[in-house]
Amino acid sequence: MNIENTQSQMRKGVLEYCILAIIRRNEAYPGDIIDEMKNAGLQLLEGTLYPLLNRLKNAEILNYRWVESTSGPPRKYFTLTEKGDKFYELLESTWVELSTGVDEVIKGNYKKEENEPNNSEQ
Amino acid sequence: MKKVININFQGQVIAIEETAYELLKQYIESLKKYFSREEGGEEIVNDIENRIAELFGNRLKLGINIITDEDVQSIISSIGRPEDFDADYQDFDYAYGAKSSQQKDSAYEQPKTESIESEEQRSLYRNESDRIIAGVCSGLAHYFKIDPVWMRIIFVILFSVLFWVYLILWVVLKPKALETNVTKRLYRNPNDRFLGGVCGGIAAYFKIDTWIPRLLFAAPLFLNLMGMISIPVFPWNRFLDNWDFNWNINMSVVVVYAVLWVIIPRANTVKQKLEMMGEEEYIKSIRETVSDNVANVKSKTDESDNYTKSYVATGIADNSEKVTMDALPPEPPRNIPPKSSVNAATGSGNSGCLSALGILFKIIFFAFAGIFAIAMTGMLIAFLVAGTKFVPLKSLFIEYGYENSMLWLSVILLFAIPIVSIIVWIVRRSMKAKSRPVIGIVSIILWVIGIFSATMLGFKIAEKFNVESSTENVQALTSFTGNKLYVDMADYSSDYYSFSRNFGPGSDLDNFPYYTINEDSLLFSNIKLQIVQSQDSLYHVRTISSSSGKDLKIAKQNTEQFTYPLQQQDSLLLLPEFFSAPISQGFRVQGMIVEIAVPTGKKIEIDERLDDYDNFISNSSVRRKLKKSRKTEALDWDYGEEYILENGDLNKTVVLTDSI
Repeated sequence: MNIENTQSQMRKGVLEYCILAIIRRNEAYPGDIIDEMKNAGLQLLEGTLYPLLNRLKNAEILNYRWVESTSGPPRKYFTLTEKGDKFYELLESTWVELSTGVDEVIKGNYKKEENEPNNSEQ
Repeated sequence: MKKVININFQGQVIAIEETAYELLKQYIESLKKYFSREEGGEEIVNDIENRIAELFGNRLKLGINIITDEDVQSIISSIGRPEDFDADYQDFDYAYGAKSSQQKDSAYEQPKTESIESEEQRSLYRNESDRIIAGVCSGLAHYFKIDPVWMRIIFVILFSVLFWVYLILWVVLKPKALETNVTKRLYRNPNDRFLGGVCGGIAAYFKIDTWIPRLLFAAPLFLNLMGMISIPVFPWNRFLDNWDFNWNINMSVVVVYAVLWVIIPRANTVKQKLEMMGEEEYIKSIRETVSDNVANVKSKTDESDNYTKSYVATGIADNSEKVTMDALPPEPPRNIPPKSSVNAATGSGNSGCLSALGILFKIIFFAFAGIFAIAMTGMLIAFLVAGTKFVPLKSLFIEYGYENSMLWLSVILLFAIPIVSIIVWIVRRSMKAKSRPVIGIVSIILWVIGIFSATMLGFKIAEKFNVESSTENVQALTSFTGNKLYVDMADYSSDYYSFSRNFGPGSDLDNFPYYTINEDSLLFSNIKLQIVQSQDSLYHVRTISSSSGKDLKIAKQNTEQFTYPLQQQDSLLLLPEFFSAPISQGFRVQGMIVEIAVPTGKKIEIDERLDDYDNFISNSSVRRKLKKSRKTEALDWDYGEEYILENGDLNKTVVLTDSI
């Protein structure tokens, strides 16, 4: 098993959810998304962001509009569509389920070790 | 120092170092290629380009006027190279559920489409963008993903055969401008040249100092020149002997250089220089100069916008190909420090006469190639004709049955397989059939079997010459009145069949035997006639027959089967024109020594018609016999002269008057 591989797999799963979350909060262009992700300490290769946004757009989850920029070419500002909102909510519920579940499993591990002797006594 | 160019990138004018521009261009090309399989791939690339333009903009805002290699590198590393996000990218296909069925399919199909794509790329074309004659070599090289120079060298070396392949491919293949698909190539180096930059390019390619290839090219010329001048001074030059040979070396060095000059392209653009030196080397060489002149450059950067004529392309992505050296703005003159030798500029003072020399070389090269090609056509036909002439010779070496079939197997496999495979390959390529490695593997295996069989046969044949043997036969001539023996030739009266090549000097192959009219015997003229002193008062004739064979028994048997009937008519001795042997012997270097022993005080004259009897018999067994038996040395004599044997030597009886 390659540790880097596993790590990137873990990160990948939540990447889409994070991006949608950022866009949902505020209309955002890719530069914002990258900055926010970096500030939050999540590594993101920009080269993977663009195809992902493109696909989400093609699937009508995202919509965008052009906004003139002072420091360069016009930017694509992304927003969630209605379908995107639903999609996000589904993802959110999955995430909550997943994160609490994962937490429990990890904490449960420790509990189990403590509980096991008690259980056997009873 | 570096050249700075202005580009219009996503609607922004950006001053960028030329090397940085090349890096950027390559990077965007790689992205394009990568995303081309994606729906809306162009849009993705465009988004990324926008992003890069924005990052450039940010840097320019910070007061950095010019985009450098480092800037581009850092941007590339933050966006990532295609190989970095390959795994992520693939996984998104699975992870992303909105178009799940379709997406999944496409994800599974990806390897397949990729292979089709590469199949398409691997079609064979004539390369229009990189050619010397018709771009055939370059197209082939592209197909095999090698440097075109190697393909050209192969074609030059195997000109006689591959010339026809070249012609066929020229006709069959469609021209197409192909992007080079090798990262490292051999170029002529315009920045490091003495004549054409061939040595400089070789040095850059192999990462050695330029003087090494230069020395290799110059040494033969120089040594010969030294040799010619210094003959009286240095006697050791005599060991080098033979000037013709040395001149050949000189000529070949010149020819090799000229050929390389023609077939190796010159590195003109920065991209080509990168391919020539390797990226790191090139950047290093630039960096060295940059660090030398860092202060200079810094002071000038502020002004860069003023003196750099803005070159406006419609966009780096669309128009990148057009940005070549010619289109680039000229080097700002104030920016050239006196000692900067390594830079991207190609213009130099003496290029005019050198390029004229280059054109001259090309003209000569093509003229020679044309003449040579015509000559080759003639040669090929001549060889075909001559080849059939040699067929009867086959039976001299090869027995019917096993060996014969082995011969044909070898010939077919060795010669037919490559020709057939080349034709099959060309046909399949031009019909764009999918490549099937099985065909190649099978033909290689068959060809190897051919080599093996030919080698086996070679050993078999060589084996037949393993052992040498000889048989001695002494015959005393009947006594006759008079004291002079006249030796003449008894003509072979019947017809015989001789081999001849029908071309070249010395058409007749004297060493090979002739066939008799009913092909039951072989006639040999490999005879050596010599005269010795007789040990008694009689004339004697001794014949030593010699032959090679697979083993001693066979060799001995061969010699015993020779027939060489001597005829004596009183004082006239007639020697047969040929000695004959059964045809079953084949050619085993049969030879014969005829030794006439003359008693003291007697005369002898050999007719001039026998002057062909002067062959060298190299048979070791014969030499042993001669050494053992000879009490007197073979004597000197000439044809058509009367000699008398006195004091163990032959003396002319008639001394020519005009020699006094």
